[in-house]
Amino acid sequence: MSAHASDKFVYHEPGLQHQFDDMKQQEESVSIGMWMFLVQEIMFFGGLFTAYLVFRSRYPMAFAAGSNHLNAFWGGLNTLVLIVSSLTMALTVYYAQKSNRTMQVVMIVLTMIFGATFLGVKAIEYSDKYNDGLVPVTGLNKVVKEDPGAHHEAPKPCWEVEHGAAAAEHHVVNPRGEFLWTDCSLAKLAEKENFLTPTERIGYYSNGELDGNKFRDKVRIFYFIYFVMTGLHALHMIVGLGLMAWLLWTAYKGNYTAEYYMPVEMSGLYWHFVDIVWIFLFPLLYLLGRHFMH
Amino acid sequence: MAEYHPEHEHMEHDHMNIPKYLLIFGILVVGTMLTYFAATVDLDFIFPGANTLLALLIAFTKMACVMLFFMHVYWSPKLIWLSAIASFFWLAIMFAYTMQDYFTRGYGVFTG
Repeated sequence: MSAHASDKFVYHEPGLQHQFDDMKQQEESVSIGMWMFLVQEIMFFGGLFTAYLVFRSRYPMAFAAGSNHLNAFWGGLNTLVLIVSSLTMALTVYYAQKSNRTMQVVMIVLTMIFGATFLGVKAIEYSDKYNDGLVPVTGLNKVVKEDPGAHHEAPKPCWEVEHGAAAAEHHVVNPRGEFLWTDCSLAKLAEKENFLTPTERIGYYSNGELDGNKFRDKVRIFYFIYFVMTGLHALHMIVGLGLMAWLLWTAYKGNYTAEYYMPVEMSGLYWHFVDIVWIFLFPLLYLLGRHFMH
Repeated sequence: MAEYHPEHEHMEHDHMNIPKYLLIFGILVVGTMLTYFAATVDLDFIFPGANTLLALLIAFTKMACVMLFFMHVYWSPKLIWLSAIASFFWLAIMFAYTMQDYFTRGYGVFTG
């Protein structure tokens, strides 16, 4: 090769796409693109957090009552499961940077196992809600036909009913699969200690008396928000698992090395984002009224 | 490029190692447990809503750990910092303007 020809030779990194000057520019452009996507995802979930904020500030006691009926053990377990999956995802990126194909594959498989565990726990929780008559849409709950020989107890006032809705525990009849909620004791507590909000004084009462049906409808708002937010989050988990499956295949083929691992890093950003959403959903949905429980 | 430095060609990626990742993971686990136990203690004697504030403080700390170290924002270009912070700024605008509307329209006018 003559000296003149070598002047024209441009070293080309194996992972560099032709529209970028160098790897640094390529990596920055890819990161910015992914972050722009995540920013709009934050606004997307932000709309739901706004709905939560509006209705919780209007009906705090109904939200606390609904929240206390969620299973904080499952919610907490799922938080830990997601944090472990975030660790294994971060380690996937770490091993890609070290060009370690075997450990990349191991870490992606672990991430997928933890992601699937999260969805499994979610399925258990959703089926509990179905059995207890807590899905906020009529007809989507378990139908319990009336036993013709059953004796009817006189209905108690809603603030003396024990244990939330709990249709399954008490074999409450639910022939149309409706949203069931009979306990308004938290509203009674707030009335006694005088911290009902002005909206609650109107929203829970009929003719100056606590109205179980009106309280139930406010708890139903909580369950709507619960299902939409956790459902959208679960959808993101399913998309994430699809992403991981693709990553598993390409990492298995040995596509990612210290020279080129941006797809691993970007999938990691998405996975961590989904984890962050859950970090907020857990205390806001599962724990908000727990300090009233004793 | 005029300022071409081959040794700085890649974004730096040797800041984190396995012990550091495990440390961040440990902080996140402790934060989760703290969130749970803090929620069972009635903090309303400080001011109403103290429980929620504490829960959110822990959540923001956990989020900061994930973003800075798992998502490598700490070593990212300024533009990434800007996008991350701007998204929360926009979120705050949405919350603030929605709530100032709800809080100033008078309660109970359109409740059922």
